[in-house]
Amino acid sequence: MDRPVAYDKLAREERVVRMRARDVAEAKIEQGLPPFPDLRSRESIRERVHGIMVGEMQAMEGAGRSVYDFPDAPWEFTMDMARQVWDESRHLEIYLRLIEHLGGYPGEYPETTILWRCACAEDAAARVAGVNRGLEGLACDVFNQLVHIARKIGDPVLERSVDFVLADEITHVRMGSKWLTRLTEGDPERRRRAIEFQDTIDERFNLGGVRRDGDHEEVLISIATEARRLGGFTGEEIERLIKTTQRSQVY
Amino acid sequence: MTHSLEGHHSVEQSARLIRNYRYAAERMTRLLGGWLPLTPEVSAKLLMGRHVWDNAQHADLFGRRLPELRAPAQVSEPSGPAFVAFMEALESPETPELTVERLVGVYRVLKPHLLAVYEQHLGAANAVYEPPTCRILARCIEDERRHVAAGETVLGHLLAAGGLYDRAVAWQRRLEELLAAAGGVTGEGLPPVAPRSTVPEGEGSGEAREFIRLETAGSPWALPDDLRAAVQAFGDALVNGEAGALDRWIAPSARSGQAMDPALAGVRLSDHRVVAVARLGAKRIVKLRAGGPSASVTLALRWMPDPDGWRLESIEIARAHVASPA
Ligand SMILES: [Fe+2]
Ligand SMILES: [Fe+2]
Repeated sequence: MDRPVAYDKLAREERVVRMRARDVAEAKIEQGLPPFPDLRSRESIRERVHGIMVGEMQAMEGAGRSVYDFPDAPWEFTMDMARQVWDESRHLEIYLRLIEHLGGYPGEYPETTILWRCACAEDAAARVAGVNRGLEGLACDVFNQLVHIARKIGDPVLERSVDFVLADEITHVRMGSKWLTRLTEGDPERRRRAIEFQDTIDERFNLGGVRRDGDHEEVLISIATEARRLGGFTGEEIERLIKTTQRSQVY
Repeated sequence: MTHSLEGHHSVEQSARLIRNYRYAAERMTRLLGGWLPLTPEVSAKLLMGRHVWDNAQHADLFGRRLPELRAPAQVSEPSGPAFVAFMEALESPETPELTVERLVGVYRVLKPHLLAVYEQHLGAANAVYEPPTCRILARCIEDERRHVAAGETVLGHLLAAGGLYDRAVAWQRRLEELLAAAGGVTGEGLPPVAPRSTVPEGEGSGEAREFIRLETAGSPWALPDDLRAAVQAFGDALVNGEAGALDRWIAPSARSGQAMDPALAGVRLSDHRVVAVARLGAKRIVKLRAGGPSASVTLALRWMPDPDGWRLESIEIARAHVASPA
C-alpha cells in the first residue's frame, strides 16, 4: 500500500459529494450565508454535525494509517493509535446516529478533505503533533461548544453523546502530547519540525478569525481552554494559540 | 490416563508459537488500519475500525507473555516465508472496488484459521502450568468468533449486491491454497476449520447488522418536487441523446464548454438514477448516474433556484466508465 494515502484516493460511497473546502465556503458567501454553520438553527447544527461526522471518518482513517504507516515506531505508539481507531469508529457511529436524530442523512452536505490533507505528514512525530494536537485540539474546541449549545437548546441526546466524544478527544490530545515528546527525545530538530507542522495546522484552522477565544454564543468556534489543558497543552501554548487567532484576518 | 503434569509444548515451543500468532495478529492489525481509507462502504469501515483495536490487544497480550517464557517481549515471527507470502497476498487488494476480497481474506480465511489454531492449542495446553497462555487464547478465541460472525454478516450484505459471489469464492480458494502451502500460521499444518454455520454468532452479527443499517439509513433525498421533475427530465434528455433539450436546463452563464460532451459522445445510455443529493446553501448538487450496455457515467449537477425554476449552474463528470471493446 502507498504511504501516505493521497486525499483524492479516499474511498467513498457514491452518495458522497466531494468538494474543496474553499469552494464550499465561497459558494456560501456568494449566497449571503456564513461560510461555516453558525449553530443558530437546528439545520445549522445538523450541518455542523454532518461536517463533524465526515471529520470523524477521516480521523478513523488517519489513525488507521498511523497504525499501518509506522511499523518501526515503538509498539506502544501503535497501541495508542489502534486504540484511537476504535474510539474514532465509535465517534463515526455516534455522529451517524446524531445525523439521524437531527433528521438528516449522510451525504446531505458535501465532504471536504482539508482535514485529511493536514494528516499526511510522513514523520510520525509531525503526524501526532499535527493530528493529535492540532486537529484533535480543534475537535475539543468544536465539541466543547456543541455540548454547550446542546444544553442550551435542551437536547440531552446531543449533549450527553458529544460530551463522551469530547472525553475521548482529550485522551487523543494527551496521546499526541506524550508521543510528540517521546518520539523527539534527544532530537530537538525533529521536535522543532513537528511543532512547526502543528503550527501551520493551528493557523489554518483558526479559519481567518472564525476560531477565537470567546463566549460560545459570540464566536463561531470558541477555544476550549480547560479541555486543552487536560490534554496536555501548557498555559503558554494556549496563550500562544489565542494570540495567533487574534492575528488571523477575519474571513 | 495421562498425568496431570504431562504437557504438549516445551517452553521454547510455546514461545515460538506465540511469536507466530503475534506475527499474524500484528500484521492483521496494521493492514486493517491501512485499508480504512481505501474502503468505501461504511459498514465495512466500521467493522474493520472496531477490530483493529481487538487485534492490537491480541498482539500485545502475546507479546507480553513472551518474557514469561524466557523470550524477548513484543517480538513477532512468521513461521516461514510461505506464511509471509500468504499475508502479502491477503494484503494485496487495495482498490476501492475490492472490499469483498479484503473481507474474504480476513474474515473467511485468516480469522477462521486462527480461531481453529487457538482452539487446538487451548485444548492441548496443560491446565496446571499453562493457564497464563490459556487465558490469552480464551480471550482471542472469544474475539475471533465475534469477528468472524460480524465479518460474515457484512460480507453477506455486500455480496447481496450481486455479481460478486464467484469473485469471493475464487479469492477465498486462492488464499486457502497459499495458507495450506504455508502449513498455516505455525507452519505445522491446518487444523480443520469449523463450518461457518456452526460458529456461534455471539454479539458480533448484531453489531454488524447495525453497521449495515447505518450504511443504508437516511431520509429519502431532500429533493423539492420541482427539482425532482427537472432532474428527471434532464436525465431523460441525456439518455435520449437530445443535446438541444439538455440546453433548456443549463443556465446561460454555464452554457459554454460543458465537460460532459467528449466523454459521452457516441455512448449509448439507457437509464439514469439519482445517487446523491447534497445541499450547498439554497443550491443542490445532484449526482446522476446514467448507464448503458457498455458504459456508465456519473454526473455531478449543480442546480440553483431561479425565478423560472431550477437551472444547472455546472456539470462535472464525477466518474465515467466505458467498457473496452471485446
Ligand atoms: Fe473523534
Ligand atoms: Fe480523536
